[in-house]
Amino acid sequence: MIRVKNLIKHANSTRILRGVSFDVAPQTVLGIIGASGSGKTTLLRCLNGLERIDGGMIECDSIMLEAKLSASEYGRRVKELRRKVGTVFQHLYLFPHLTVLGNIVEAPTHVLHVSKEKAEAEARELLDSVGLSDKARRYPESLSGGEQQRVAIARALAMHPALLMFDEPTSALDPKRSAGLRSLLRGTVSRGHTMVIVSHAIGFLDGLADQLLYIEGGEVVEFGDTDRILNSPSDPRTQDFVAQAK
Amino acid sequence: MFRELLRLLFIAAVCLLCLTSARAQKPLRWGADPSGGAPYVFNDPQHPDQYIGYEEEMADALAAAMGRKAEFVPSDWETLVSALQRRSFDVIINGLEPTADRQKQIQFSKAYYIFQLALTVRKDEQQIHSLADCKQRVVGTLGNTAASRLLQKEGIPIRGYADPVAAYRDLELKRIDAVIMDVPAEVFYVSKSTTLKRAGEPFFRGTYNIGLRKGDDALKAEVDAAIDLIIRDGSLEQILRRWGLWNDAQLELQNPIKAGQRNVDVAYDMTSVTFNWREAVWRLTRAAVVTVLIAFASMFIALSLGMPLAIGQWKGPRWLQWLCTAYVEFFRGTPVLVQLLFLYFGLPTIGLAMPASLTALIGLGLNYAAYESQVYRAALEAIPRGQWEASYLLGMSPLLAFRRIILPQAFRIALPPMTNDFVSLFKDTSTAYAISVWELATAYRELANASGQFLLLGVAVSLYYLAMSLPMAHLARRLERRLQRREAIEAVEAEIAV
Repeated sequence: MIRVKNLIKHANSTRILRGVSFDVAPQTVLGIIGASGSGKTTLLRCLNGLERIDGGMIECDSIMLEAKLSASEYGRRVKELRRKVGTVFQHLYLFPHLTVLGNIVEAPTHVLHVSKEKAEAEARELLDSVGLSDKARRYPESLSGGEQQRVAIARALAMHPALLMFDEPTSALDPKRSAGLRSLLRGTVSRGHTMVIVSHAIGFLDGLADQLLYIEGGEVVEFGDTDRILNSPSDPRTQDFVAQAK
Repeated sequence: MFRELLRLLFIAAVCLLCLTSARAQKPLRWGADPSGGAPYVFNDPQHPDQYIGYEEEMADALAAAMGRKAEFVPSDWETLVSALQRRSFDVIINGLEPTADRQKQIQFSKAYYIFQLALTVRKDEQQIHSLADCKQRVVGTLGNTAASRLLQKEGIPIRGYADPVAAYRDLELKRIDAVIMDVPAEVFYVSKSTTLKRAGEPFFRGTYNIGLRKGDDALKAEVDAAIDLIIRDGSLEQILRRWGLWNDAQLELQNPIKAGQRNVDVAYDMTSVTFNWREAVWRLTRAAVVTVLIAFASMFIALSLGMPLAIGQWKGPRWLQWLCTAYVEFFRGTPVLVQLLFLYFGLPTIGLAMPASLTALIGLGLNYAAYESQVYRAALEAIPRGQWEASYLLGMSPLLAFRRIILPQAFRIALPPMTNDFVSLFKDTSTAYAISVWELATAYRELANASGQFLLLGVAVSLYYLAMSLPMAHLARRLERRLQRREAIEAVEAEIAV
């Protein structure tokens, strides 16, 4: 599903990603862990095309992004890529001038040109599945942080992405709500989505992510099954991080 | 011999004493409007710090005849009478006609000049030969003069101007069909013109007198005597001849005085102000409509031009950013009044002559576009980058994201300052008086000057402005509230639910 090879990204003169490589199989959940400033958010922004890569390549559901592509070709492929990828930001960025329902149907009606009735019916189903069926006519501002996040998830799902990406999904949630989110995401995976979750909350990923990738200083330190990384990490740096996070 | 010498010395001493005492006399402070005041009194084009003009020379001659020194106090035509009453100067010498309404406020010396009115048209004009041919035409003249009152009485459409240059220029540019002016001004401007000509013979016969405060009877006697003196010794005639203003009409005035007659009482025409409230209100209402139209049309220009400016300055290539910034800084950094004058009087020199009201609404529109672009830009920049990114990640193109996501949010931020600007644009329409657009401020100025009803008309005009700007502000507030209410209600509901 995702293949990343030797990915390099600069910002000004500093290298943020120094040759990152990994693969994700379809319908699996990859957790990207690491301390703040390790480059994990930048990696996510490269995967969804918000940042242009400076070296290496990304292949995502047979769409290839390569550093050597021309700007226009790169832009064209990013557009294609975005049809397959849904992203939920740490800060969500719901559209404050639209209702919950409006937030969800905006892209299907204007990008995919789905009829309004059909999009709204689908949106109501999605809201139902995230437990917000009674909030359709509300504005995001009046919802709690957890509810807003579920709206953002529904908004991403409405575009039928094959791949879902989350940036620090638990940063604004208390432990109880985190557990709720985890079960919601589990349900989403069971319906066939592949997922990439950037987080520093190892506890949240335990039992959700199939694989973990530990990143430090823009390099992959360790990549493997969640159980193995959490229980018997081989690299001392990973051992340190896991021990501290626990 | 020695005695003889002593006597001579004594006489010389007395003469010197007389002279010095004359020097010690208070100067004759006279007021007039020098701007566009040729040939009465105006800035010497060769020496802009000096004033010249036939009345300037006459004032010097008068003062000399009175044993005084003339001291010129530059003032404003429209407010000459009140400035005299405020003691800014002691006499008005500015081709002032002793109308009945002025005589209620001040007194006048005897006449020193007989003026006539002359009609001016373009050289190629075939149809206009007299005032009677002007019934359906627009005729320009100075505000609050014998000519303007005459036109008003005849029911001929007037364009009021603040100075003759502007009136004759507009005639050349075909913005009006004819100009009526007192003969002195007409002689000065039209005799040299290659494009304008006199239509028919000068008509009407009025007098110029010197204005004095009521109660200054001693000064009036002194001034009257001095007028007699400069007429009798021919110095006034010399001055008038030098300025090309001598004509047979002056003989009527001067001959009896030269013949030694004391009281000359020739009957002259005199215009009077016909002011009635119903007409004033009607004219104010028309002016208010013009004001509203200019305000709305220029706001429309400002709002539509502001957007491309804002986007150009915000996201455009470097040269475009530079261009937009230059535009904004130019229009924000110079007074709108100067911009209007430039558009109205400057552009015709490159062959672009627009009517006054069109100039006003374009000028104000261009000016406010600069302000609106900054309101837009600030509002657009206030939208977090995440809103763009979220839109892109949902597959939207930049244009779609802008239209559906960014613009609606920016609009709410921009609405209050936009309303503010609109109300201030509304009031800025008053600058259009500088280019003689008949809007509320012009109407106020002209009606109030004609009637002296500054206070009452001022209240009426203020009410008009308020009647127009208050509903606007109210409407904008309602719109703002409507945009916010939705969220507010939601928020309250949420509170209750918790």
